[in-house]
Amino acid sequence: MMPASFDIAYALDGFFAAFFVLFSVGIVVARQMRGALFLFVLHALALTASAIVLAIALDSPHLGWVALITFSTKAIAVPLVLRWAAGRKLHERREVDHVLTITFSLLIAAVLALIAWVTIEPLVQAIPGRPFAAINLPTGLIAIFFGAFTVTVRREAMVQLMGLLVMESGAFFASISIVNDLSVIAEISAAVDVPIAAMVIGLLIRNINRVAGSTRVGHMADLKEHN
Amino acid sequence: MSPTVTHLVVNLIQVAFLLVFAPLLKGVLERLEEIIQGKRGPSVFQPYRDIYKLFGKDEIVSQDSTWVFRFAPIIHFVMPIFVVLLIPALTTMPLFFAFMGDMLSVGFYLSLGGFFIALAALDTGNVYGPVGASRSRMVGFLSEPAAILVYFTLSYVANSTIPYVVTASWAQSWASMLEPAHLLVVIAFFLLILADEGRIPVDSPSGKVEIAMIGHSNYLEYSGTSAALIKWGGALKLMVLMIIFLNVLVTPWGLASTLHWADVLWAIPKVLAKMFIFLVALAVIESSLAKLRLFRIGEYLAAAFVICLFAMGVRLVGIA
Amino acid sequence: MLVLILVIPAVVALLTLASRRLAPWLTLAGMLIGLGLAIVNALRVAHGGIIHGAYGTLSLDPLGALYLLVVAFVGVTAALYGIGYLTARMAELTEDDPPPRYRQYFPLFNLFLLSIMAVPLASNLAVIWIAIELTTVFSAFLVAYDDGRQALEAAWKYVALTSMGAMIALLGVLILYYGINHQGQPITWQGLQQAAPHLPAAVLLIPFVLWLIGFGAKTGLVPLHTWLPDAHSQAPASVCAVLSGVEVSAALYMLLRIYPALVANPGIVNPEIWYLVAGLITVATSAFLLLQVHDYKRLFAYSTIEHMGIILAACGLGAGGHQLGTVYQLFAHAFTKSFCFYAAGLATLVFGTQKIAAVGGLLGRAPVVGWALLLGAIAIAGAPPFALFISEFEILRTGFAAGQYAATGVLTTLIVLAFVAIVYQAGRIVFGEPVVADGYQPPPLPKTSMVALAIAFVPVLVFGFYLPPPLMSLVHQAALILGGPT
Repeated sequence: MMPASFDIAYALDGFFAAFFVLFSVGIVVARQMRGALFLFVLHALALTASAIVLAIALDSPHLGWVALITFSTKAIAVPLVLRWAAGRKLHERREVDHVLTITFSLLIAAVLALIAWVTIEPLVQAIPGRPFAAINLPTGLIAIFFGAFTVTVRREAMVQLMGLLVMESGAFFASISIVNDLSVIAEISAAVDVPIAAMVIGLLIRNINRVAGSTRVGHMADLKEHN
Repeated sequence: MSPTVTHLVVNLIQVAFLLVFAPLLKGVLERLEEIIQGKRGPSVFQPYRDIYKLFGKDEIVSQDSTWVFRFAPIIHFVMPIFVVLLIPALTTMPLFFAFMGDMLSVGFYLSLGGFFIALAALDTGNVYGPVGASRSRMVGFLSEPAAILVYFTLSYVANSTIPYVVTASWAQSWASMLEPAHLLVVIAFFLLILADEGRIPVDSPSGKVEIAMIGHSNYLEYSGTSAALIKWGGALKLMVLMIIFLNVLVTPWGLASTLHWADVLWAIPKVLAKMFIFLVALAVIESSLAKLRLFRIGEYLAAAFVICLFAMGVRLVGIA
Repeated sequence: MLVLILVIPAVVALLTLASRRLAPWLTLAGMLIGLGLAIVNALRVAHGGIIHGAYGTLSLDPLGALYLLVVAFVGVTAALYGIGYLTARMAELTEDDPPPRYRQYFPLFNLFLLSIMAVPLASNLAVIWIAIELTTVFSAFLVAYDDGRQALEAAWKYVALTSMGAMIALLGVLILYYGINHQGQPITWQGLQQAAPHLPAAVLLIPFVLWLIGFGAKTGLVPLHTWLPDAHSQAPASVCAVLSGVEVSAALYMLLRIYPALVANPGIVNPEIWYLVAGLITVATSAFLLLQVHDYKRLFAYSTIEHMGIILAACGLGAGGHQLGTVYQLFAHAFTKSFCFYAAGLATLVFGTQKIAAVGGLLGRAPVVGWALLLGAIAIAGAPPFALFISEFEILRTGFAAGQYAATGVLTTLIVLAFVAIVYQAGRIVFGEPVVADGYQPPPLPKTSMVALAIAFVPVLVFGFYLPPPLMSLVHQAALILGGPT
């Protein structure tokens, strides 16, 4: 590995990491479901791109497979599942409810990013010999936080599901920089697990839509202590 | 020629470059948008004709207005010219006035023009003027924190707030252009340009309905020479922002590296080519977006602010 | 041998798709075989230590074996209980109610149990994580069994919150994966234990914190517990029994198993503080919630939260002494809580409502169910002579012996408070004049469910004063794994 080409790989990885974070924020605040879905696909592509950069830079064909699996599950299979789950709701021009205003959500997102970074910093220090960890670990944890934040502040089941998947992508974004030899069985099952989980949750969303006439789960509040 | 004289000559070339080509860029942008919308559009030289025509017209000034009203267009026109002396418009090496003011002062000069225009709009007593003034101030209040953060992030990268030094530090290598902080700042600054210039997601430049205007209703009362200065000044401001965006941030290449007059003149077509590409992108983006509701502008600018904050955070923690 | 435990539920799940009439009995048969296999394997483990299967992808150690036993046992009673209970529940439905998901229930039930049993059996940590995620996936529609608005709301909360936790835990798993792999150890619990002393503290502590949040959501730690009462108030009692008894503690099992690794690392100071604080907060919150609960299935759900907190705190208290109490509490809670839910499910059939204020005099209306509910409540609250009394006594004794007076004192107070709350609420249900709701015709109590109730009661009572020697040896070995001396 030439030092100069390593610099370029490092910079490229950072470039995709920035996009990865940006699209995660976009999903937190996207107003319409279609926009959120579009951002989700871009988000998966940023993950794939980072995996490709790492595969080339670390000369690891294994990460190449990871990139391929990621692309086929997250950028193709899962968005298709999401489209199916949303059904006709996808094309509604309705604006998606937020618990907080968008401005406030964005500020909290910024604070969360900082917290994530402070949390993961000791780990980055503790693992020498993993050059890309300095970019990927914080970025991954930030995406996990943003995904959790999405689930918390959005009242729309579809977007909450996207938040869960963003968290999952975040975990993988972090891990490709440190684990480049996940055993094959774990990898395949992870690849199968994600679309299955998305499908089951999608089916649940379709049922909620059928029974409640809407996917705005934030407005379902029948179950409380004093009823 | 002594160095001082050379610097002065190059500075004059820069100012002339700004004054001459600003209306053209405005015309090109308008033409491009019309073409994208499937129309033929006016000639790219239409802004020159407009300005020439306005200079020949009589000016009407309200009896109730004060000196602020007469004075504002001049400030609006002059401030971009001051700014161009501070930024790398055609050359990479710092010119005579380069160390007179840094990026913050660039921001101050540009907002000073906006401030006087808002005052003038209040001054006339026109119904729509104060509405536009208050709205454009609202946008200004929200965009300025983000703008200041952009400047700070940039200067943190270069360890300097002088635009020339920032350009030099970005232009060092390809790799530095890919840094996450850089990317994020570019996006945030682009959002701010759209807001500051009253372009589409924030304001509609071609709108003709006074009640929906944000910044454009500030100019309703002007006629004759003042109107020409306002129009020309608006074009200058757009061009100055483009110079900062392109020459300092996105593509710090194609500038003259010596002060020889031939080099400097050769830089003009290169910079214009970059600007043309930028205008095409701007026209496409503007045509594909819809105007935001007034109260959504806060969210739009908060997004710019947060993106800046990320950029600053990424820089501070030294990830890249 | 080990692989059969997982193959059988998978095969049965396929078979249940074929016949609607035979599905309940096929499920029961599958679960019985599973229990037999679990007992055989647990005996092997009790005598010979860790066993491996399926070319090393599966393995079973004493703690895993103990957990597998309760999963298999609860699986059997839940399958038996479900046969009559679900039919009786359907007879109770009015015209307006949507038809429940009876057809999907049996395949999903089998897959659900399959994924829970994979947690103690799988060797690879990443596979264990997948198993835990799958428990959520497969049980989502079991919670939404009624297919009504409220059931779907509960299922959504359950899925959203626990999946969120699983995703947070995933990063922890992957960081541990790096750490263990870097030390050249296999990615198993044993490998983790071998690698732990040599890892940088951050590589162990950050995954642990991620697990505490992530698996904490699944196990119902406060403040991520909100899904638990909702899901338990909506799911059928047979599902509640599995959910509360064993599924929730699958995530807790993960938190317990990482504990010895934390202790082994020299860089981590006082790891037990995390366990104590998280556990005590959970116990305290749930003890007060128990006092003001309005729904008796939610009552037992809060009691589950309380017990998860007790086990976690016990693990922290055991640092200076030993972990016998922790392990025995995990073991005893599983079958005691499933018994409570069986009784509560039958009470729902008797009354037609789950509101505590609207019911009373259960002893008069259905004596067997009334006694079961009363005994279950007393047993889960931790009174002698039931199994949970032994473990709670052991936990508190260990705590005081270890000199943790403040924490143990608080825990004792909270346990007493929870005891009072549960017994008081149970008293409101079982004593008093029999209340008859207007126009509600209770269906005859299903026989299979009564048999399941009786079977489930056996360990609750027996293990309070007698533990068979192999089981005793298993408990001791399991406590040894958690890091305490025997």
